[in-house]
Amino acid sequence: MSDKQQIKRNIEKALANENLRGALGRFGNDYVGARERAYTGKDFQELRDRIAAVKGDAAARMEELARRFTESAQARGAKVFRAGTAQDAKDYIKNLAQEKGATKIVKSKSMATEEIHLNEYLGRQGLDSVETDLGEWILQLCGQKPSHMVMPAIHMTRDEVADIFSKETTQELSADIPKLVGVARKQLRKKFLAADIGISGANIAVAETGTLVIVTNEGNARLTTTLPPVHVAVVGLEKLVDVFTGVKSIIEALPRSATGQKITSYITMITGPTPAAYPDGTVQEKELHIILLDNGRTEMQADPVFKEALQCIRCASCLNVCPVFQLLGGHVYGHIYTGGIGTILTAFFNGFQEAGELQNLCLGCERCKRFCPGKIDIPKLIRELRSRVVEKGGLPGGQKFVLEKVLPNRKLFHRLIKAGQLGQKPFQKGARIRHLPMFLAGLTEGRSLPVIADKAFRDQARNLSVPEGSSKESTPDSKEKVGFFAGCLTDFVYPQLGQAAYKVLKHLNREMVFPAGQTCCGVPAVLMGVRESAVQLAQQNIEAFEQAGVDAVVTCCPSCAQALKERYMELLETDPAWHERAKALAGKVQHVTAYVADKSGDGSSLRLKQTGGRVTYHDSCHMKGCLGITEEPRQLLAAAGLELAEMEGSDLCCGFGGSYSVKFPSISRQILDKKLHSMEAANAATVALDCPGCKLQISGGLDSRGKELPVKHTVEILAENL
Amino acid sequence: MTGWRREKCRSGYCTLWKCWLIPSLAPGRRGIVMDGNKLEQLFAKFKEQAEAISARVYRVHDSSAAGRQLKNIIKELNIKKIAAAKSELVSDCLKAIKSQDVVVHTSDLRQHSEDAELGLSEMDMAIAETGTLAQDSTALDQRLVSTLPPVHVALVRIDRQVDKFVDAVDYFNEQDLLPGYIAFISGPSRTADIERVLTIGVHGPEQLYIIFVDQAGGETCE
Repeated sequence: MSDKQQIKRNIEKALANENLRGALGRFGNDYVGARERAYTGKDFQELRDRIAAVKGDAAARMEELARRFTESAQARGAKVFRAGTAQDAKDYIKNLAQEKGATKIVKSKSMATEEIHLNEYLGRQGLDSVETDLGEWILQLCGQKPSHMVMPAIHMTRDEVADIFSKETTQELSADIPKLVGVARKQLRKKFLAADIGISGANIAVAETGTLVIVTNEGNARLTTTLPPVHVAVVGLEKLVDVFTGVKSIIEALPRSATGQKITSYITMITGPTPAAYPDGTVQEKELHIILLDNGRTEMQADPVFKEALQCIRCASCLNVCPVFQLLGGHVYGHIYTGGIGTILTAFFNGFQEAGELQNLCLGCERCKRFCPGKIDIPKLIRELRSRVVEKGGLPGGQKFVLEKVLPNRKLFHRLIKAGQLGQKPFQKGARIRHLPMFLAGLTEGRSLPVIADKAFRDQARNLSVPEGSSKESTPDSKEKVGFFAGCLTDFVYPQLGQAAYKVLKHLNREMVFPAGQTCCGVPAVLMGVRESAVQLAQQNIEAFEQAGVDAVVTCCPSCAQALKERYMELLETDPAWHERAKALAGKVQHVTAYVADKSGDGSSLRLKQTGGRVTYHDSCHMKGCLGITEEPRQLLAAAGLELAEMEGSDLCCGFGGSYSVKFPSISRQILDKKLHSMEAANAATVALDCPGCKLQISGGLDSRGKELPVKHTVEILAENL
Repeated sequence: MTGWRREKCRSGYCTLWKCWLIPSLAPGRRGIVMDGNKLEQLFAKFKEQAEAISARVYRVHDSSAAGRQLKNIIKELNIKKIAAAKSELVSDCLKAIKSQDVVVHTSDLRQHSEDAELGLSEMDMAIAETGTLAQDSTALDQRLVSTLPPVHVALVRIDRQVDKFVDAVDYFNEQDLLPGYIAFISGPSRTADIERVLTIGVHGPEQLYIIFVDQAGGETCE
């Protein structure tokens, strides 16, 4: 079975697993609040700046710090081994066990040892290596893999655990959680007391002092590092920091971001060997072996883009806020490191090929980026991974043709869309497409699609710069000439958004122009990893708006706005002249709603009709997460006399994600279900939002469920109330 | 750092030789907070935070009152065997329970901690912001009594408080040599690995009692 088929099968399996979705969903909902409470009184932005500086600096000087750590730890009496590969690390531990005549090993949770599949290996060598973290032990007993970096057995129920423990202890145990925990305590205590070797990981390794820092809640790491006379710590090179005080920011953030705790029950800092009790009853210094593991990390460090991933502190907050992870859990990712950051780490620790399919699971909602305490631009790294995979392996035929040949050729692209407008006629019922031919079936699953407009906005816009009742010259108090960037959905599906923007801007005495040379913003090409096409589209759009000579550029679509504001500079980074032009454009771009709020004193100068009624507002991912716009639309809606009824999780993704909803319709649909549920619970007469993609997804979802709830762009509501 | 013992321990009460015997504990004889108001603020914050994570916090006047508090705990939990890691304050505290029907072990703790029902030790520092205790746990006994028994009773001198975790890091960082094993303890051991249900007491102590002592013979060092 190909990777792709395997992933699809895993997805269906995960989506059918109610336990998993229940547990992950509940956690996802609780997590954000708990995390926020834990950060009370802390400046998260300042903290993440410090972490990024500490970890970024350590990553840049990885080799130097590794040498320094080695010297410091050795000076304190530890033995340090540099393991280039997973096999080197495993061999070292095997040889050590043989040398010591050790057979019994206890392990506290360590992602690095999971990464190198240490347990399986030691098992094959006849060594009994027991996981002592409760979640890890449950999984070890039933032969499963962790589904989450911090909560490995989050996918299992108490009944399943009771069954597993009953088998292990050969007695009938009830599914009572405290009792089950008690059973684990009793069973594992025996293992701790009898162990010859304790193996741990480390959350931080300090080069200056040779110190290992271990952060836990259960206390198993304390026993692992206290009882056996030999302690082996397996530490990835990315765990190094320069000086001891560098641990501050990481420990301040790690428990808060991981589980919403201000601090974990235990934080242990080990510098050199300490006394331990030997089997003969004497108390002597123990043996401390530290394995510094490379296994792809120096390769990552040498990569100008991916080195950023070394700033990860393994808190897993990127998983906790990921709408896809919340549905699927970690098993779909097929590897130890799961979710967004896991996809990147997998590429380096297990190979790009294996990560190739996984990166497709990312919706591109960019929510993780806001939460990452290491300040890693995870979405950017996933896009980079995608484009490298595509550069190497190419795209499937159909996608390749569309993205490489059609999209950059504006005239051909637009001709094909218009042909599609005719082609859809047989499938059209009312104003929506309910069924499409087989090959596009995924598109209409759980959602009906709007039809492609009879007349694209670009065709309607020909007369805009000379609107009726106005002269071609700017009115005396007109300050700006505003270029309108439509984007594909506004242009071909929702031209009424362009009309609404025109009406509102005109009311503000702005002259709105539509440069006809504009085309797709390029986001689909970026997301699909076709960088070359994206660059061409960026250049076409920059040129079109330069020629139009506009003072400002507005768009109804936050994803387009973000592309114009940020992505183009990124795409054209290596070409100084183009980069300058991209920068000039970026400085002019605003989402239309923010522009209007800005120029109208939050709507007051629009003198809107006060219609009244309840409205609920959906924060689109790219609107809130990327552009940081949340207050402006709410103030404009209030200015129209509407009462705001907030829905729960207004900033949770609707599941659209552009082509994502075609690639993974079942995931997209379930994310949508959740959204619609909270939307309806808000009991409003209208849903307001600021993204044509979300409008398509949400109104389609409501329509296919027979719900009559109007879904409007803020600018439409404003235009109606002028 | 080296001169303080002689300069500050001028009163006849100070058992100077003990400081020298347990060098890693020596800094523990010196107060961190001396300002009374600040001390009260920190204690109030500590108590609130520690209790929020299931620890029980008490405050007593001196070591014999600490002993009476320990006695209550022993009685309440019906404790028969105690493993105690030696320190001056621990010894003073234990004097109060001598008559009690309980066996106290202060040596061979690897063996005795396994089935002791209560572990007793003195911690070096309390961090108000998070209700955390910190200790130089290099000595094996210190680790055994706070990891193996199901109940841990921790004694702390009231003037050994700091505000934030980062202050504790700075404190250890200022020492000439980092202790071999620094333990930070916040509440009892906990897990949420089964269905995310918070369960107290998995591998470490199920209960953590923290007794702050105002005059832990501390005035003798001033």
